This record gives sequence, structure tokens and C-alpha cells, in this order.
Amino acid sequence: MASGSMLPMRIVVCVKEVLDPDAVGAYALSGGLVVGEDGKTLTQTTIPRLMNAYDEQAIEAALRIREGGTECTVSVVSVGDDLTTLLRHAVALGVDDVHEIRPPEDEPDCHVIASLLGAWIRTSGGADLVLCGRQASDDDQGVVPALLGEMLGMPVVAVARAVEITERASVMVTTVTPDGDETAEAALPAVVTISNELGEPRYPTMPMRMAARRVNPEVVEPDSISEGADLAPRVRLVRQYVPTVKGECVLIEGDGPAAQATRLVEALVGDRVLQGRP
Amino acid sequence: MSAPVVVCTWQGAGDDVAEETAAALTLGRRVAAESGTELRWLVLGPAPEDLVETARSHGVTVVDTFGDARLESPGPDAVVEAVARYSASRPAALIVFNQHFGTRFVVPRVAGRIDAAVVMNCTDVELAESGGFLVTAAAYGGDTRAVYAPDPERTCVVALLANAVLPEPVETPAQAPPVEDVDIDVAGVEERVRIVEQARSEGPRLEDAEIIVAGGRGLGSPENFKLVEELAETLGGMAGASRPIVDEGWTDSAHQVGLTGRITRPALYVAAGISGATQHMAGCSAAKTIVAINTDPDAAIFRYAKYGIVGDCLEVLPEMIRAVREAGVAR
Repeated sequence: MASGSMLPMRIVVCVKEVLDPDAVGAYALSGGLVVGEDGKTLTQTTIPRLMNAYDEQAIEAALRIREGGTECTVSVVSVGDDLTTLLRHAVALGVDDVHEIRPPEDEPDCHVIASLLGAWIRTSGGADLVLCGRQASDDDQGVVPALLGEMLGMPVVAVARAVEITERASVMVTTVTPDGDETAEAALPAVVTISNELGEPRYPTMPMRMAARRVNPEVVEPDSISEGADLAPRVRLVRQYVPTVKGECVLIEGDGPAAQATRLVEALVGDRVLQGRP
Repeated sequence: MSAPVVVCTWQGAGDDVAEETAAALTLGRRVAAESGTELRWLVLGPAPEDLVETARSHGVTVVDTFGDARLESPGPDAVVEAVARYSASRPAALIVFNQHFGTRFVVPRVAGRIDAAVVMNCTDVELAESGGFLVTAAAYGGDTRAVYAPDPERTCVVALLANAVLPEPVETPAQAPPVEDVDIDVAGVEERVRIVEQARSEGPRLEDAEIIVAGGRGLGSPENFKLVEELAETLGGMAGASRPIVDEGWTDSAHQVGLTGRITRPALYVAAGISGATQHMAGCSAAKTIVAINTDPDAAIFRYAKYGIVGDCLEVLPEMIRAVREAGVAR
């Protein structure tokens, strides 16, 4: 943080395990995506589970800050069961410590997740900077970082492609907006969400992966951190389905691309989508 | 009467499309009618010119506006606080926002501030048989729809996706609704995030384009993106791209069409070498006419397209450029 500060700053990165969105997308494109018997879960066992890509980029952002010379520690936390593989991946990337918070019931919603993450951050030494992916690629909600900001009383800067810590204990963020890049500054502590524009995250080296195999995440029971917290979900998932798209495409046939292109343009002019030469 | 349904629009933050406002009001009116309650329209930022007429034609009971001059161009902290105070003084059953870049990250903060239930990427809201709402939302980049039941004891806040609801004015509008000043002062709210350098919009935006020619992985290599640009230019339109080729650096993210990129609504959308992943379609399915060029006849893009050419876009694009020039066409 500031050059004169006594303690290294603490960066906390919140991550989520998701079904590989590319595999889900491939099933969806081929028409083979099905919802399981409970009517709400995608149960294809062939779809791998992995770290939400935006969250992996949030880890990358944290590591870049550390490598940029800011004295800091990077902690990674996730809510769920059986996250050892996921969190060892974070260790292999180079983070300092990893933590697995057990969910209090089967289907925690964004409010419950944010409450647990917030409670853990508060009780484990606080955070100068909280980094999250902009949204999870499964539910796409993007709600948890905003709720965390509200619960911890921190400003939230969304959709970052670059994050820097300044000398004056603030965070300087390049955000991606529809009108181009914007530069924003917020005093620490703050929450920043990371977007894919940050660029490719690093790939763990073999020695790092080997070393990570010996690391077990610290397991945190919700009762130990969330005394008095309201852990009732605000929303419940009741159903999930695969929407159908009706296809009414007219395929333009013809003897080769030239003829097809000419016919297509004629069709568009005929529909008045394009105006022909008067 | 039960708590009202509130539609909250925020012109200046992206609610500049009359159609999206009308869509949110249409959804709000339907839910309000089904639950036998009133529909209020909370207007943040400058009021649209046809405020009263729009409100009337969508069956709004009361229009609420902010007298606070700061809310003419509010920052996110002021908006969160303003809506939170509004909600505290007039508890709502449902608050509907339009989802776009300006609201995407503010709506969940509003929900957090007032401890409401929140669902983003909303495509529909219905009444549950047991009371309360059922909120449908796009998930997995649009590959699935998730139906959520928010806690009926709380306000539910939703962000409505563009093009999810068809705007439908009432057939016989009643009299013009009253416009009330909500008299909430947020002058003391300090913006915690300081904009050091504002984004400078460089030229026209994809969101406003009438014609878009977009390219995907089917282009094969980065240099072929210029074929997309050339056809776009020939048609007097703009070039778009799928996320994979933006991630690969073939073009910059200003061209990215899709759920996490630009949400467009052109008259004509030409998709060249794009498979039609739902993530991408979320950004272009509102196009009036979609044309697909793809080597794979089973590609999903053909399900959305009105016209398709099964073929290599590297062969078809130059021919289209030629055909367009020969026909001398334009919008």
C-alpha cells in the first residue's frame, strides 16, 4: 500500500467453481443440453468443473499487483464443498493462502454467498482490496461483488481491464465501458470486479502444480464466522430449462458464392432491408 | 391494496431507447394488473420529453420524479441512495430496471442497500400460484433459463434484459397520470469512485448502428477481419465481432457483440463465420433481419437467421462486397 505503511496490504480474491461454459455451450449448440431430474440442475457428468474464468483473471490481476512491487498477500476464498482441486489450482498460480467456506445449506443464493464471504473477510483480518470476477459464467448474475461492497461498506468499481495500487492508498482502475476505456480511482479498501479484457491468465508451471498438491485449503465452518448473520436465501432457484429457438432460415442456393451473394443481396433489396439503386 | 410495482428508468445511463422504457413499463403494468396494485414510474435523471404521454399510454398510475438537480446526471452512489430512500418511504413489491451498462452494476447494490431479493438478466416476471413472483432469467450466457422464486416478504428487484419483453401500449389509455416530486435529497451523498479520465466515445456506437457485419472464428485468421470491415463499409454499416476473436486480439473489444459486449438492434445483422452461441446472440437477436454465412449447415446461427448461405465466409464475403457495389445498394 502506501510506501510508509507498516503491514503489507491484503488482497482477497473471491472465486467460484462452475461448469465449463464452453462445454455447456457446445451441448447447447448441438441441441444436447438437458436438465436433470430435479428440474433445475445441469447433470451431464461429461461437463468438467473448473474455476470461473473471470475469477481466474481476478487472481491474475492480484498477482500482477504483487509483481508490480506492491507489498501484499493474496488470499483466495470460495464457498462450497470439495473445492480442494479448485483451490490447489489457485495455489499453483501463486497465491499465498486458500480458504473453503462450507455453505450452510444446499443452495445458497447470492445473498448467502456474499454474507459468508463478507463475514470471513471481516473475521480473518479484513481486506484492503477485494477482487472478484465480473460475473460467474453459470448464473451470470454478477450480484455477489455488489452485495459484498454494500455489506463491507466499500466502493465497487466494475469491469476492470487493469488495476493498480497507488502511493496514496487508493486503487486506480481502467474499466471497460461502451464508450471505450475509462480510468477511475477509489480509496482503499475497495471491491473491484475483473473482466476478460484483462487478458489471458498465466498458466501454472509444473513445479508450482507439484508444490500445490501438498496444500490443503483451510476449511471454514459458517457458524465460526457468521454469528448473528441472516443466512436465509433471498431467492431460490425453482426450475431451469433450455429455451428453444424456432428456425425459419431460407438457405440461399446457387452455383457458387458469386451467384449466392447476388441472390442474397436481391432478397435483401426485395425485403427493403437494403435500398437498390433508383 | 398491496405494495406497488415500480418501474425505474435512468435516462443518461443508457435508458435512452424509448423501446426499452416501453418494454419495462409493459412488464410492470402486466404484473401490477395481475397483482391488483398500482404501477409507479420512478424517473432518474432528466425526464424524457414525452414523459406524460408515455406514462399515459402505458397505464402508469403515478410518475415519481426527483426534484434534486444532482440527479440530472447522477453518479452510482447517489442513485443507490436515492432509490433506497424512495423504497423506504414507499415500499414496493417489485422494482423493475432496464439492464444495460449503466445499471448492470448499480441494481444489485440497490438490492443490497435495501436488503431486497434481486435477479439480473431477467426475461419475465409472473405471479406464483402461492403468491409472490416467479422471475425468469437467462443463465449460461443464454443457453438456459433459470426460474427464481424471490422471498415474498421482501421487495424484489429485477433488471430486465433488452428485447425480452415486447412493448405494448394499452389499447384505450386512461387520463394522464399525476407527476409527483418525491422530495428526497441526496445532496450529501459523496461519490466514492472518482472518474479520472472519462471514456471518450470514438465515433459512432455499435448500439446505434442500422447495419452490422460481424465476424467470428470462421474468418480463420486476424487479417481476414478486414473483409468484415470492408463489407460493413460498403453497406454504410459498422463491423462487429464475436467474443472469441476479441479475446484472441483480432480486433478490439469495442466491436464485441454479445451478453458481455454490445447489445445491438440493427435492421440488418450479417454474421460471418459465427456459430451462434447464445452468449453472442444475446447481443444481436433483436436485429430485424439476420443473415448467416457459415460452412456448418447445423450451426446454431441458422436457427436465428432469416437468410443463410452455407459456405466459407472467406469466399462469400468478397462476393457480397461485389454484389452490393453492383446493385448500388444502401440503407
